Amino acid sequence: MMWLADIRIAIASLKATKARTLLTVLGIVIGVAAVTLVLALGEGAKQAIGRQVTQFGGDVVTVRPGKLAKDQSGRTLNYDLLANFSASTLSEQDSKIVNSTPGVSSSAPIMALRGTISDGKTSTDSSQIIATSPGLPDVLAQSMKTGEFLNDDIDRNTVVLGDTLANELLGTDQTIGQKVSIRGENYTVIGILNHSDLPLALNGLYDINRAAFVTLDAGKAMNQGIAQVQTINFRIANGSNPKEVTDTVSKRLKEAHKIDDVAVIGSDEALKITDSLFATLTKYTAAIAGISLLVGGIGVMNIMLVAVTERTREIGIRKAVGATHAQVLRQFLTESITMSLAGGVLGIVLAYVMALVVSFQLAFSPVLTWEIVGWSLGVSVGVGVVFGIFPALRAAKKDPIDALRQPV
Amino acid sequence: MVVVMNSPVIEITQLSKLFGYGDATNVALDAVSLAINKGEFVAIMGPSGSGKTTLMNILGLLDSPTHGHYALDGTPVADLSHRRRARIRRTKIGFVFQSFNLLHRLNVLDNVSLPLMYHGQNKLSRAHAASRLLKTFGLQEREYYMPHQLSGGQLQRVAIARALVNRPSIILADEPTGNLDTKSSEIIMNELKEIHKRGNTIIMVTHNPSLTVYADRVIQMVDGRIDSDTAVKKPKKSKDSKKPLGGKRSKKSRGKDA
Repeated sequence: MMWLADIRIAIASLKATKARTLLTVLGIVIGVAAVTLVLALGEGAKQAIGRQVTQFGGDVVTVRPGKLAKDQSGRTLNYDLLANFSASTLSEQDSKIVNSTPGVSSSAPIMALRGTISDGKTSTDSSQIIATSPGLPDVLAQSMKTGEFLNDDIDRNTVVLGDTLANELLGTDQTIGQKVSIRGENYTVIGILNHSDLPLALNGLYDINRAAFVTLDAGKAMNQGIAQVQTINFRIANGSNPKEVTDTVSKRLKEAHKIDDVAVIGSDEALKITDSLFATLTKYTAAIAGISLLVGGIGVMNIMLVAVTERTREIGIRKAVGATHAQVLRQFLTESITMSLAGGVLGIVLAYVMALVVSFQLAFSPVLTWEIVGWSLGVSVGVGVVFGIFPALRAAKKDPIDALRQPV
Repeated sequence: MVVVMNSPVIEITQLSKLFGYGDATNVALDAVSLAINKGEFVAIMGPSGSGKTTLMNILGLLDSPTHGHYALDGTPVADLSHRRRARIRRTKIGFVFQSFNLLHRLNVLDNVSLPLMYHGQNKLSRAHAASRLLKTFGLQEREYYMPHQLSGGQLQRVAIARALVNRPSIILADEPTGNLDTKSSEIIMNELKEIHKRGNTIIMVTHNPSLTVYADRVIQMVDGRIDSDTAVKKPKKSKDSKKPLGGKRSKKSRGKDA
């Protein structure tokens, strides 16, 4: 019962100073919205990648440059996802080793480049160009929309386009046989890939729908004749033991390299790595977003201190008629929690709206789970308590006589 | 005169209150000893700065003495926790202030029922109790008025209603009529007299010598000491002669005073 009375008093007091209450709540709204949106983005990315890995099944394995750090029980500790790609130790020869390993049904090296693609009228800036081998559609379980994929005997100046890129460049007209210029050189379009629902399928790094695929020879020509292979992806044949095949590939590559400088990662392991990577990334980004919540909390504390000072006489009267320290404390704490909780609820609503807007811009949608909502509400109540307790204590400890002496 | 002579409700011995330190020390109360029995109506008089209000605040557990002993209902209060003191304030003591001290954001009913809230009563029973009390003060139709919509006399009656809502045995009134005109003062004093008749102990601080006729004991304070302590002998006649002026008129004027 006392609780209801506290909330009633809190709402009445907050209403009495509407403008500054609203501004204080706004501070919390922005903070909570920022934190909630970051968590939702992290969750969305995690789910998108998880979905892709599950759709691949456990059959797709990735070879990456760099050594994988593992602990004694063989669990992957961390893996520097991006750092080693610029100075990759993988070569075209490695791709052949992988492809010839028993139990590998298909494989494809990925050499990623960027460049301008143009059809003479429209052009795209800094598009993803992927030099690869004919095995790629099989590895990705990706079908053709029209035409065919690259093969070993094909002319160097041929290209296969991702669905979105093709639409942007050539529209929906006849596309096969059209000429496009890539990095200033003419290529003939021989095929368009089907639209991929897993746009980040290539190790979560490249958007298939927006990429142009060329032969490894063409890729080398663009890169001073050097095949700088970032990853090699391969699919394990039906009936083969994934663990055995993975180990064999790993052993063969190490023999060829003489040193242990490549990592062979199954898709479930890859998921774990990306999961932990995204979890860390989300945690830190949320912490940075949390700074705005901290500022909002300071706003709450500031306004509560003002309220306590302004209402010293009220505190004196309440104490004179028999309010205890605890009852006064609770009254002011309820007030700060009411503000921060209202800000929390509105912040979550705002985050939801922002997530909707953002989902149109991104390859994946932010996901607002109940867990995130729960955390956000919990954090906003926490802000109310943490930043409200000091002003409330100050109110509770006021001496009734001094408080009553304050002029109205 | 029905004065129950049992153990005193209030008993203070050698009570002192000092403000400030060192050379700047200011003695507000200087070794005051006093016993007040249940059912007494005590008027405390004296010039400003004679320690009347300080004494009231200490009696009402709003302030603590620097030295000396204070027993309320036979219990020493010196070592009571904040919580116990608050509890005594809301169960045994009703405070009436010169400046009313109502909460301006609450309506009359909520102001009166405030002590009950801190006592843990639910909203409905609080409202019932407050409403019943306001009716006896002729303020029933003003229940939902805000304090700023009432006159000084009405405000003080609301404040008295608030002081009474917990059925306290002791009423402490610090210049209850100090801010009121003569007519309103008379109404307030008659209310206090009624309350006194019902058996409450009343301790009232006042500047106005004419108000001492309502009391049955007058204490004069000077410089933090009790200068004189005299029982007022009220001749039956004068008490009767007041009746037409006080009792009856007050009822008539209650409705229309503003």
